[in-house]
Amino acid sequence: MLKRLFLLAVLAGVAGLCIFWWLTIPAVVAANSLPQYTPNLANGLTTFNAGGCSSCHAVPNQPDRLKLGGGLPMPSPFGTFNVPNISPDPKDGIGRWSEADFVTAVLKGTSPAGAHYFPAFPYASYQHARVEDVRDLFAYLKTLAPVTGKARDHDVPFPFNVRRNVGVWKFLFMDGKPFTADASRSAQWNRGAYLVNSLGHCAECHSPRNFLGGIVDIKRFAGGPNPEGEGWVPNITQKRLSDWSAKDFSYFLESGLTPDGDTAGGAMARVIRNTSQLSPEDRTAMAEYLKSLPAVEGPPRPKKAEKS
Amino acid sequence: MKRVLLVAGALLLSVGVGVAQQDAVNGAQDAMKANGKNLGGVLSPMFKGDKPYDQAAVDAALTQLDDTAKKLPTMFPASMKDAKWEGDFSPSPKIWEDKAGFDAKVASFAKAVTEAKAKIKDLDSLKANFPGIGKECGGCHETFRVKKG
Repeated sequence: MLKRLFLLAVLAGVAGLCIFWWLTIPAVVAANSLPQYTPNLANGLTTFNAGGCSSCHAVPNQPDRLKLGGGLPMPSPFGTFNVPNISPDPKDGIGRWSEADFVTAVLKGTSPAGAHYFPAFPYASYQHARVEDVRDLFAYLKTLAPVTGKARDHDVPFPFNVRRNVGVWKFLFMDGKPFTADASRSAQWNRGAYLVNSLGHCAECHSPRNFLGGIVDIKRFAGGPNPEGEGWVPNITQKRLSDWSAKDFSYFLESGLTPDGDTAGGAMARVIRNTSQLSPEDRTAMAEYLKSLPAVEGPPRPKKAEKS
Repeated sequence: MKRVLLVAGALLLSVGVGVAQQDAVNGAQDAMKANGKNLGGVLSPMFKGDKPYDQAAVDAALTQLDDTAKKLPTMFPASMKDAKWEGDFSPSPKIWEDKAGFDAKVASFAKAVTEAKAKIKDLDSLKANFPGIGKECGGCHETFRVKKG
């Protein structure tokens, strides 16, 4: 009897491992699934600015936002991620990547070597991007100057450093669906929704996360503790920003100035450096969409520490 | 008796230091709020076309910003490190850890304001020079201000 139970347990264990293995196979976009395409460099630049690539991948503490050598440390509750080099350098950057490698990385969060990237790389948003935009972006990145030097390895402790586990995270928190337009809304609103939810990846910081680091969906855009540690990321739904007009939103994305004369600070200052480069039409579209976000109560703020 | 006096004196002194520190905190917050009022209430609306251009209002706003620029180098003394900050924001400790970096930001803000004062004479020159000021504000807040939890 005992022997049989033991056998059963072993079998269940093996089955569980198989399921885990199957569930966590990194997804890949095959090269032959990409049709012939002539990339549009101007749209690649738009994608680059909307995607905020340089916010994280630019070499920190220097003024050139097109120097994509990486190296910025991103603290998180799961450890510190060091942003990699995505310049076209063949050795330290993505110079040797195929287009399919790049599309796979951005849309699936899988590296050319077939490993899961950590979701500090916001592929949970980028998965909704149009494949043409990503292909244009790849062509655009190729035009930038190569930067030598690799970033340090991520400093992420067990069990989060087991890449295969990220497959479970993806299973839980990625839907794999492309962006679908809402036919009842204007073309401008849909463009804004696309930019905000895919490339812009606004929700990645402006939403609270659960203990596994997944976005709490019903609180999307309602702000929360800064995932990078210090301070609080504000609620950007109409709960807090109802006195902002759509024009205020687009002006903020252009200048970093709020209607009350304050400015974006912290990581948002880097975001503005990208959105200020977008076309006024794209900013207006994002503004229309953001203005339409229903009011959502954010997570409670901790009581302010009263210390002398 | 001597001891009582000494203790009382020490207490008074620490209260005094506390009050001075609080004054400095309030002073910094008032200056920043005044900047915000002038940017959000005067310069931005003219820039956006929500308000007509008004040279007197522009001059008054720039004078106040200039006043802030003059105060900024001494606005965050090291003695302020453990001060209590009411409201949404507090200075980042980086102000004191990277004093040279902070001073450079302050100097470049002052330069932008001085230039704006010399150049802004009509709506076109406002459009050309105002964004530079906003960039300076944001450039400093990026590193040296913390949004509190």
